[in-house]
Amino acid sequence: MSFRLVAAGLVHANGQRALRKVSLAARRGERIAVIGPSGAGKTSLLRILATSIRPTEGQVEVLDLYPWQLNGAQLRQLRSRIGLIHQAPPIPPRQRAITAILAGRLGQWPWWKALLSLLYPLDIAGPRQQLARLDLADRLFERCDRLSGGQLQRVGAARVLYQQPDLLLADEPVSAMDPALADLTVNQLHAEAASRGATLVASLHAVDLALRWFPRVVGLKAGEILFDLPPVKISDPMLRDLYASETGPLPTQDHQPLEFGPAGSRGPKSRITVVPPHPL
Amino acid sequence: MNTVSSAERRQAWGLCLNCWLILAAIFGIVWASFAYLSLDLMQLFTAEAGRGMADFVSRFFPPDTSAEFLRRIARGALQTVAISAIGTLLAAFAALLLALPAAGRFGALPKAASRLVLNFMRSVPELVWAALMVLAAGLGPFAGTLALALHTTGVLGRLFAESLENAPPEPARALLESGAAPSLAFVYGTLPVILPQCVAYSLYRWEMNIRMAAVLGFVGAGGLGQMLYYELSLLHEPQACAVIIAMLALVILVDAASAWVRRSQLRADG
Repeated sequence: MSFRLVAAGLVHANGQRALRKVSLAARRGERIAVIGPSGAGKTSLLRILATSIRPTEGQVEVLDLYPWQLNGAQLRQLRSRIGLIHQAPPIPPRQRAITAILAGRLGQWPWWKALLSLLYPLDIAGPRQQLARLDLADRLFERCDRLSGGQLQRVGAARVLYQQPDLLLADEPVSAMDPALADLTVNQLHAEAASRGATLVASLHAVDLALRWFPRVVGLKAGEILFDLPPVKISDPMLRDLYASETGPLPTQDHQPLEFGPAGSRGPKSRITVVPPHPL
Repeated sequence: MNTVSSAERRQAWGLCLNCWLILAAIFGIVWASFAYLSLDLMQLFTAEAGRGMADFVSRFFPPDTSAEFLRRIARGALQTVAISAIGTLLAAFAALLLALPAAGRFGALPKAASRLVLNFMRSVPELVWAALMVLAAGLGPFAGTLALALHTTGVLGRLFAESLENAPPEPARALLESGAAPSLAFVYGTLPVILPQCVAYSLYRWEMNIRMAAVLGFVGAGGLGQMLYYELSLLHEPQACAVIIAMLALVILVDAASAWVRRSQLRADG
């Protein structure tokens, strides 16, 4: 079991409810997309899985451990096996890309290696390799405040790829990228998860990206799970219900209308996740 | 219709009643001060006073530029720079250590305690610290270094603590949530954000400390100031004049250098 939420609920300190009775479980190696309108609780769900916030109700189990019953050292150990790609990469502006990526392994490295790496990066090939996967190897030594939004997002993704977590979480990881780069990045997240048997959970703004890439799609609305299905079983009315749009377009990558063919003609075309998928 | 009514006049006076009160208070205080200290400003402008001043100033010229004395001045100037550099560097390290609790990283009690310490260090002026340190550590540059370090720690500690409080928490938080130890999350997530600011504050304080180190010598804390005090005490005016010129040159040099550093820093940011 990679993670399991049982009737998890979350009420923010200001009294606003983010999640209500969410039960969700995944086996090791599963790949799940979370879609839904903004404010549906996608980020809250991911942050609970990342053990960064504690649900106010219900149970959470991550990588066969109950994070909120662990002591400090055990929790750190568990967290070093969980990687969360943030929508806005939390990287100090003047930090070099290579340093920002090396920081992904702070939970695994001895302290002297971490401190020495501030003066001279003790691993150069590793970060370069992760950036190369995302087509950004030439920016290895660039300062992060000199990168564009999409480039910075890829540095943030490279950090978590470099961390090599067993549970790979991604909160809108491609929101600042053009469709080609978004495809490349999602492809690499899948490849990473597949090659190491890691579990991947990504919240996505673009429905087409979720339906095309993920064998399991969770629809979240107003803090509750609306559906949890393989893409072939997700119909147009379900999506319209999710986004509460009767006639308007569904959110897609470059605002291309989502086409519905006969059931089964859509869905994850590439279980072998290193081949870029065909456009819809 | 061109006459001004008395009501209008009253309104005009009342336009800035406070201004009138403040002006009256300033005149009153100045007059009372002169009376109390029995100062007679007119004494400054008599012919005798003018001759006396000219005589006093002329005794300082020409300054002593003998090679032997210039060598002593160079040594003194170097000592002044060294005192300020070590004092500022020690202060920067101590300030960073104190800024962590002062920014509330270890709870409310350490925060209040470290703020009290920083306030105390800052509110005692460098000259007073120097006088105390001369008593504690003896005459010489060590006392001056300690005095500068103590006061500057108070100033920088507060500034660093403010930088820490204003630094965005997300980078360090993200690292903590990927299993990093708190100290490493600080070094990778918070320090890079505040470091440029801390370096800029420290350079600025160093510039001020070089000027201050030149004065601290008056209470026996080494450097150019001590030379000046010594020569003045023995009424060696030409030597004192050379020392004063050296101080002036040092300060101009430091100003130019720090302006240059700031400009190159700006370029690096651009």
